Amino acid sequence: MEDLETETRCPEDLEDDNDSSDDNSTKRRKKSNLLLVKPMFVEKPMETGFQQTTRICLEQIREALLHHRWQEAAEYMAYYPQILENTSHSKAQQNKEVIWRISTEILHHHPNSKIEDYNNIYERMKHSGVKHYLMICLEHSFHLMLSGHIEDAKRQLSLAEGWRHGKESAAQYQRTKLIHAYRGLLDYIIWCDKKVTHCNTDLSDPRDSQELQNYFRQASVNLKEILKSPGVWDSFILSYVEMLEFYEDHEEALQILNDYAYDNTFPPNPNAHVFLYQYLKQHGTSDRKLMKVLKNLHVIVPSHEMMLDYSSFLLQSEKKSDLQKALGVVLEMLDFACWRSNLDAWKRLKAIIQKLQLQEDWKDVVSLKMAARKDWWPALHFTSFHASKDSEENPELMEVKASLTKILCPVTKIDRRHNIGNTYCPTIICTYLPNA
Amino acid sequence: MDDEHTAWYKEPCALCSAVDWGVSDEGRFYCRSCHTVIERTKEVVDSTFTPGSNRVSTIGRGPRNKRTEGGRQWMICEGFQFILRNQADALLRLGVGPSFKDEALCELWRLYLQKSRQAYTHNPVRTSRFKVRGPDSDSESAAESSVMSASETDGETNPPSTIGSTAESSSEWSQCSGSVDAVSYLSPRLRRSRGLMSMKKTLALIHLALTWSREPLTLSDLLRLVNEGHVPYVNAYEELPDEMKLEGKDALLFRVESVPSHQLVHKEAQSLVLLLQLPAFPPISRQTLLHPALLSLRYLTDANLPDELHPWVCRVMERAGMADQTLHTFDRLSHPVLPLYDVQAAALIIVTMKLIFGLDDHAEWDLSNQTGDLDDSGNLFNLRRWYRLLRAALTRAQQRRDHDVARKQWIAENPLSSSKRDKRVVVKRKRIAEQVQICFQKLSRGPAGGERGDPSSFRFCWGDEDGADGPSLHHKKLSGVLTLQHNVLTPSNSTYWHPALRACNPRTCRSHYSDVEATLPRTFVWLLQLFCFLLDVKPAFLYEEVLKVERRVINSTAARSPETKTGTRTRTRAQRRTPQRGQETG
Repeated sequence: MEDLETETRCPEDLEDDNDSSDDNSTKRRKKSNLLLVKPMFVEKPMETGFQQTTRICLEQIREALLHHRWQEAAEYMAYYPQILENTSHSKAQQNKEVIWRISTEILHHHPNSKIEDYNNIYERMKHSGVKHYLMICLEHSFHLMLSGHIEDAKRQLSLAEGWRHGKESAAQYQRTKLIHAYRGLLDYIIWCDKKVTHCNTDLSDPRDSQELQNYFRQASVNLKEILKSPGVWDSFILSYVEMLEFYEDHEEALQILNDYAYDNTFPPNPNAHVFLYQYLKQHGTSDRKLMKVLKNLHVIVPSHEMMLDYSSFLLQSEKKSDLQKALGVVLEMLDFACWRSNLDAWKRLKAIIQKLQLQEDWKDVVSLKMAARKDWWPALHFTSFHASKDSEENPELMEVKASLTKILCPVTKIDRRHNIGNTYCPTIICTYLPNA
Repeated sequence: MDDEHTAWYKEPCALCSAVDWGVSDEGRFYCRSCHTVIERTKEVVDSTFTPGSNRVSTIGRGPRNKRTEGGRQWMICEGFQFILRNQADALLRLGVGPSFKDEALCELWRLYLQKSRQAYTHNPVRTSRFKVRGPDSDSESAAESSVMSASETDGETNPPSTIGSTAESSSEWSQCSGSVDAVSYLSPRLRRSRGLMSMKKTLALIHLALTWSREPLTLSDLLRLVNEGHVPYVNAYEELPDEMKLEGKDALLFRVESVPSHQLVHKEAQSLVLLLQLPAFPPISRQTLLHPALLSLRYLTDANLPDELHPWVCRVMERAGMADQTLHTFDRLSHPVLPLYDVQAAALIIVTMKLIFGLDDHAEWDLSNQTGDLDDSGNLFNLRRWYRLLRAALTRAQQRRDHDVARKQWIAENPLSSSKRDKRVVVKRKRIAEQVQICFQKLSRGPAGGERGDPSSFRFCWGDEDGADGPSLHHKKLSGVLTLQHNVLTPSNSTYWHPALRACNPRTCRSHYSDVEATLPRTFVWLLQLFCFLLDVKPAFLYEEVLKVERRVINSTAARSPETKTGTRTRTRAQRRTPQRGQETG
């Protein structure tokens, strides 16, 4: 939520500028050739007293905000709202937005701010204009949600849902969709609370509770709706699936998980596959199906932690091609620095190699897979620096790696003169890089 | 022949009880037997009337409504009259003598009304659509006399009955504005004549009245009082009586978004003085507080400069020929330019300091080093110490001023809106702004609106009290910078610099300050900024005035150069300054 706010924040607050607020300096005539950012608070030549006042006031507020002097910012903010009464229409929308955002920022940090202040400001700014009514409603309900007032948050969204303003409400249909979605999420949260209290107090089967079912129905309408639009809806889909699981509607759950993972109009989302995989695993699906899901995940994120599971599936399978695939999968995992010190990954690799060695052509297979890697893998994994580190931190890892070194990187040159101290393999010297 | 008009009217005549009515030439009914004329007029059917073409499409209850709400019809100049009166009362409360309001301002206002043909005249400046109607003029003249001040309108026995007039299609006007003639006031024809009143002109008029009464309140003082809110200007219309309802186009005349600058008001005053064709002002002699001799003393005190500098300022003034009172008194024939008392006094001080201290970024610091070496007791005036003190005080004062500017509230409690449609929006916005304001006031626990400190003629306070800007240097001696040459006290500094001169067209060129500023010595520029802060004028303006004073000083000495016997000082100066154009250093 914070990211959403900072992204959509007025660009004024993020721009770096050079204040030329010196009243006595004359207007600079020469244009600079340097790439300077347009200064923000420049005195316009024909500025009225009112414009000067509001400009200086905004400068002071900005300074106070940037230096975290919240009390001072609040004091100046008590004088700034007169800009809303400015009769010119050109910047009316911008002024309202500035006031809204600065007010909420100050309230976030001021020690004495209360929820009533938030409510007051949000209500006022909501009704000040039509263009940002929905946006402010959303933010208001986010705030209430985060402070734990779930019912109030839901009420705000219900009010926002019923808002119509001709073309404006039609133009902001995307925000309306978000509002419906969050309303669904709030219904789910309430459903969870009610489920817990029901289980604690009532002995009857919660599945029979009418109230719970009502909430479930309300939530599912909205959640299902939002899952039709392309986007990243991780929290929403999880909540929906949880509710569906509770009411044992497995078909529906599977359907939406599949759609979420495989719909091409949606942005590529590794989590979708993870959710689907976890759901299928929980409900006892065949290995082949699970492998299929993980294969798609492998394409998107080769370094995903699920790749360990994938490689174990491939290892256990009977097909020869699967074994080669397994080798590929693990090698691709180890291409990434995050797996460098992971014992499980290396052990898996060792197991695969061991199983592979039962075949006759294993050397060809290995060298084929390592062909693209032999230039840079030694530097990535097998330097003396890694050796010393591993010997200190994880001796077991060192053993595993040592056993694999000559298999993966077969030596073409032997030069005993390059045998420097703690090499990885005591007998063979590869083209090591010196200690980093 | 006129039976068709009167046949239906069967009322008996009040005098002779006959029922025999005719229609006279003026269209009124008269009794044929006794020839008494009654009020009834014949109904005229205007065949040229086409419904919908005239703006009056409804039999309006418009004007009647106004009456029943307690409002009355009023003219724009009445509104300005009220505002002027309030401004004058505020000045009286601040200590200005009452003759300013009664003798100067009222007379000027009446003269203005006459000259701009808004009142006291036989042909008022109005469109021909206005006609005089009987019943209203009584209320108008009654109101008129009520707003006049105590002094009678002797000689003006003809009350401005032309003011009490109503428009024929008055509902048309009432939709556009609360006053009767706002629309015509704003018409291009009248605006072009430039005689009409505006908020800026109220300040110009007051300035003229103050100058006439020789009050020591300069234009910069007046503007500072306006800025700080001691004299009503922004939202002055709020203090108009309730019966005068302001709506619509009135907003364009009475609403202000800036306090005008020094130069602007001076220009207005200048044009006003020419419009009014005033006779010569009362003379400003050396004893008057507006004269540079005494005004400069005030600025010296404010700038924490030693009192001993004052005789030098007077000397420079005499040398520049500015001691003469004719220079400072406005006279339509001999001296038709309204003098700028405050700016000239400041310029004089700057030129004096240039003479004594050099102010070329070297001489003054050498002098203060010398003074520092000489000084054992700490009684000598040291420019460096003064500069440090003033710079800190100036920075603080500028920050305080920015602080006050940021807090100034421009919007009235009941804001004016230009049209009825906007009124709803205005009220709504006001509510929102108020709510946000209240929320943050509660949070910051502070009152809204800038706190108005007590008004003072001085910007700084020097002394040892709490809240003073610094220790006072007024009593310091100038012995460190003066030497005795031929038994005459002379400034030790013998250099004087002047920026390069060039021939410019005085009409088109305003100021070269912005081009030249980068080449001027920094001390000088800072000194300009100090006085600009004291007077609240632009540095370029003050700079031009400094150049003018220098020109006077140079020209007068050059004229005197043939007299070689008069004082060595004159000669040396004249020799140095003859002819070259360009920078000169001694």
